[in-house]
Amino acid sequence: MTNKRSLVSVVDDDESVRESLPDLLREFGFSAQAFSSAEEFLTSDYVDQTSCLILDIAMPGMTGPDLQRELALRGQRMPIVFITAYREESVRPRVFEQGVAECLLKPFSDTDLLDALNAALRVN
Amino acid sequence: MGREPDAIDTKVLWTSVGKIAHPMDMNRGVQGTGVKDELSRVVDALPGLVWTARPDGQIDFLNQRWCEYTGLSVDEACGSGWQVATHPDDLPKLLEGVESILGSGEPGEIEARLRRFDGTYRWFLFRFRPLADPSGQVAKWCGIASDIDERKRVLQADIDDRKRIEEELRRGEARKTAILNSALDCIVTINHEGCFTEFNPAAERTFGYRRDQVIGKHIADIIIPPSLREQHRSGFARYLATGEARVLGKRVEMTAVRADGREFPVELAITRIQSDGPPAFTGYLRDITERKQAEGELQRSEAFLSEGQRLSKTGSFSWRLDTGEIRWSEQVYRVFELDSNLPVTLELIGSRVHPEDFPLMWDMVKRAQAGKDFEYEHRLQMPDKRVKYLHLMAHGTRTSEGQLEYIGAVQDVTERRLSEEALAKLRSELAHMTRMTSLGALTASIAHEVNQPLSGIVTNASTCLRMLAADPPNVDGARETARRTIRDGNRASDVIARLRALFSKADAPTELVDLNEATREVVALSLTELQGNRVILRTDLVDDLPSVLGDRVQLQQVILNLLRNASDAMSGVDDRPRQLVIGTERDGDDAVRVNVQDAGIGIDPQNVDRLFDAFYTTKSSGMGMGLSVCRSIIERHNGRLWAASNDGPGATFAFSIPYAPEGATGAGDLGAIQTSALSDTQNDMRNP
Repeated sequence: MTNKRSLVSVVDDDESVRESLPDLLREFGFSAQAFSSAEEFLTSDYVDQTSCLILDIAMPGMTGPDLQRELALRGQRMPIVFITAYREESVRPRVFEQGVAECLLKPFSDTDLLDALNAALRVN
Repeated sequence: MGREPDAIDTKVLWTSVGKIAHPMDMNRGVQGTGVKDELSRVVDALPGLVWTARPDGQIDFLNQRWCEYTGLSVDEACGSGWQVATHPDDLPKLLEGVESILGSGEPGEIEARLRRFDGTYRWFLFRFRPLADPSGQVAKWCGIASDIDERKRVLQADIDDRKRIEEELRRGEARKTAILNSALDCIVTINHEGCFTEFNPAAERTFGYRRDQVIGKHIADIIIPPSLREQHRSGFARYLATGEARVLGKRVEMTAVRADGREFPVELAITRIQSDGPPAFTGYLRDITERKQAEGELQRSEAFLSEGQRLSKTGSFSWRLDTGEIRWSEQVYRVFELDSNLPVTLELIGSRVHPEDFPLMWDMVKRAQAGKDFEYEHRLQMPDKRVKYLHLMAHGTRTSEGQLEYIGAVQDVTERRLSEEALAKLRSELAHMTRMTSLGALTASIAHEVNQPLSGIVTNASTCLRMLAADPPNVDGARETARRTIRDGNRASDVIARLRALFSKADAPTELVDLNEATREVVALSLTELQGNRVILRTDLVDDLPSVLGDRVQLQQVILNLLRNASDAMSGVDDRPRQLVIGTERDGDDAVRVNVQDAGIGIDPQNVDRLFDAFYTTKSSGMGMGLSVCRSIIERHNGRLWAASNDGPGATFAFSIPYAPEGATGAGDLGAIQTSALSDTQNDMRNP
């Protein structure tokens, strides 16, 4: 843990994730912000401050990987932990190739999340 | 009467009679009565009947022969007595002639029949000659009658003959003219020089000349085209010189030319007229332009047909049931790879039909004998084991004698079938993949819908535990997260309920369904597939079947499923006909029943109860969903679906559905007839 509370941003179109995940992240000691879409995140003031991004893969509009590409184009290099309710194998290898530390399948346990976050932040 | 009087006799007569008749003159030259007697003897010796008459015609002397011939005495015959010996028919003419001669005073002759002593009449020529006295007056007539009966008879016969011949000629000529004039064919005659001597009206019409324009003209100049004239002339000359004829007595085709120069084909027969004179010929010509055109058309259309059959690999055949006579086009022989000289019999066909398809062939024969049109696909097996697929169609017609005759087409569809089979294999693999893919997608979608709230539940519960474990415990935060956990739990339940509702199709429409019609539609859709599997399908639908109330599409899916199962169950059957019978009937007083009977592998009695379980299948490639879905559809129609083994090979699947109530219109919802169990479940799940 750093002295400064690192900001973890959550982008997911599912409301229950946006409600529950920030509380858990704060319990972990992070500060947390939730966004209902990639577009909302990109237009917010938190992009630069975000230490780590928890990103849903399947969303209406820009998908998680779309946002990942867009951030790379903008030179915003932040670790991303993907989360998804789909168990499709075909999606995951692609996002790993693009330098993603972890991908969690919903529902995931609190420890899995914490491990993933720590791993992501360490890579960074 | 040995001979007729000749010229000398007559001369003697006239001299003698003159002397007898003119005694005074006689006295001058001849001496006394002795001379007269001698003269009488001369007269009597003449071969003729001699008489003299006074100028008024009264007979005053008759010679002895006269009396001997007629049997009359001189006294009886003198005067007009001789007339009794004349033939009654000839007498008037004779008297008239005599009168005319007497009146003229000149010699004359008359023919008439004279009766002989025995009653027979013979023809005589009566010659009259006047004897003048010195003053020039007629003093006496003398006459001689000579027997001309023989000559007359010969003459008459000649005349009769001539008349008959003339009559025959006249009739023959009239007949010939009538034939010439009314003949449809051109008839011309030519003489030995090759010039027309006859040219009938048909020839006038055909060649465009009038008869009088061509008579006497050379045939080569009139109707032979210029290019062939030399050939004609040399042929004609050769015939006249050597008797060698190339066209005589035969039917030949050649080209002729019209007055207007147009050339056209003719059929020609030339015969030599039998006569003693120089050779003459009759020619019969017929314009065969139309026939040639028709022949050309026929040849073309035969060529078209033959080429078309070859290209489309379609042959045609006819089959007469009464005589068993089967005729094939060339193409059918090619397809069967048999010599086209072989007579076609069922045995011959059987030698090529694929052994596994014999049942199809016998089914076809039976169908034909029942007078029904038929359409089949069956296989041939060549001696080298190559397999050919044939598509055969036949339509029954009645011959002019009223016998049943099938006219049909046979198409070699081997290539099509092989590519279809490849395609079907591909399609079934694709269908299987699609099924698996869509099932996977469905599963993923269900997982996604359920995992979202589950994820919330897990996260909230974790947060809750952490909040309670803190020092001091964050009880308010924990309460909030616990509340969210329950809410997400309900959300997950709602997702399940929504899925149930989605699959229940509770809003499927109901209508009055005629199961006969529904069955017929399914059969029509499946026929190709069934025939591809070499299934012999029989439909046995009862008339006047009451309608049921339900979802037509779902019921048809059940029927289709049962048909496919039946067909699949027979896919390994090669030792008996793959016979499939689909039938409808009334079931008791209140239901309608559909039976699907196959001759397939049958059902293991131990498994009969498991057949309708979901995921139970005997097929290597099946999911096992078909029959359980079928049963649930039928049960939602308040019906039953069951299976039973046949007495023989195979099984029968059947379902039974109650009639629609009297006055039912079918408007409404399948929910109206379904049990409420499902909706109850849904309600239960909404209220945990």
